[in-house]
Amino acid sequence: MPESDAEQLKVAGTILVVDDEILIRLVIAEYLRDCGYKVIEAAQADEALLVLGQSERSVDVVFTDVEMSGSMDGFALARWVRANRPDVDVVLAGSIHRSVQAASDLCDQQDHVPKPYEPHSVRDRIYRLLASRGSRKRDLQSALEEAHAGGGAS
Amino acid sequence: MVSVEIAREPRLEESQRTVLVVEDEILIRLMIADALRSQGIAVIEASNADEALHVLQSALPIQLLLTDIHMPSALDGLALAHAARATRPGLKLIVASSQPAGNELAGLADAFFAKPFVLTTMVERVRSLLAEPQHARE
Repeated sequence: MPESDAEQLKVAGTILVVDDEILIRLVIAEYLRDCGYKVIEAAQADEALLVLGQSERSVDVVFTDVEMSGSMDGFALARWVRANRPDVDVVLAGSIHRSVQAASDLCDQQDHVPKPYEPHSVRDRIYRLLASRGSRKRDLQSALEEAHAGGGAS
Repeated sequence: MVSVEIAREPRLEESQRTVLVVEDEILIRLMIADALRSQGIAVIEASNADEALHVLQSALPIQLLLTDIHMPSALDGLALAHAARATRPGLKLIVASSQPAGNELAGLADAFFAKPFVLTTMVERVRSLLAEPQHARE
């Protein structure tokens, strides 16, 4: 995302975070909440469109990943927003590094809320969570197999 | 950039009251998440069971799983609940469904909510379950 885009964004307000990787989405979303924004989380563009289609719900910024599963990627979502909701700003972030930087830029615009923690700790937290995913994976896999074998998942 | 003192670490790792909400309809998920957050409860939002598995596989502490049963993902909520309970024995569990509760929930879920449910009742149930000691069952 060009930095100038972030500089022009509105202060405070509601940010719709769209990312199909939950462990990245939840960290970015919580960081933005801690910076004073109201945050809505969407797991893919289709969900974002449902939120944006609610006329009574105010959204100031769509903060989206670029590569996403589903019928639309981030570029297509950005085009849709610009065509249909020109009042909404779009931040496109295609990597963890850029997402954290863009979130930090948004955080900087909240004059009345002190920055809750530094961007590097947000980035470290994402990497730590992604790395920790392996720790319970095997246990969960065998539990799932047991559930299927026992008919628990029927 | 102005150097800012780190005030605190992110809340999710600290929270003793974190709920993983698994619901494929975003507007319902959003409503539940907002209601829980307004009570000071930390919420992780998953759009399906596969996303929830990613969270359960991580080191994030979670005290309560609130899941829909029927979701358009490889796993349904029931299989997710079994797997979650097996790997995190202390976890509290609330199941919601538009179908009536079946025998498969006996001994598994702490509470069942038929959809549509009254949000305030659901939030109250979450609060009371979080206030109880963790399950000791294996």
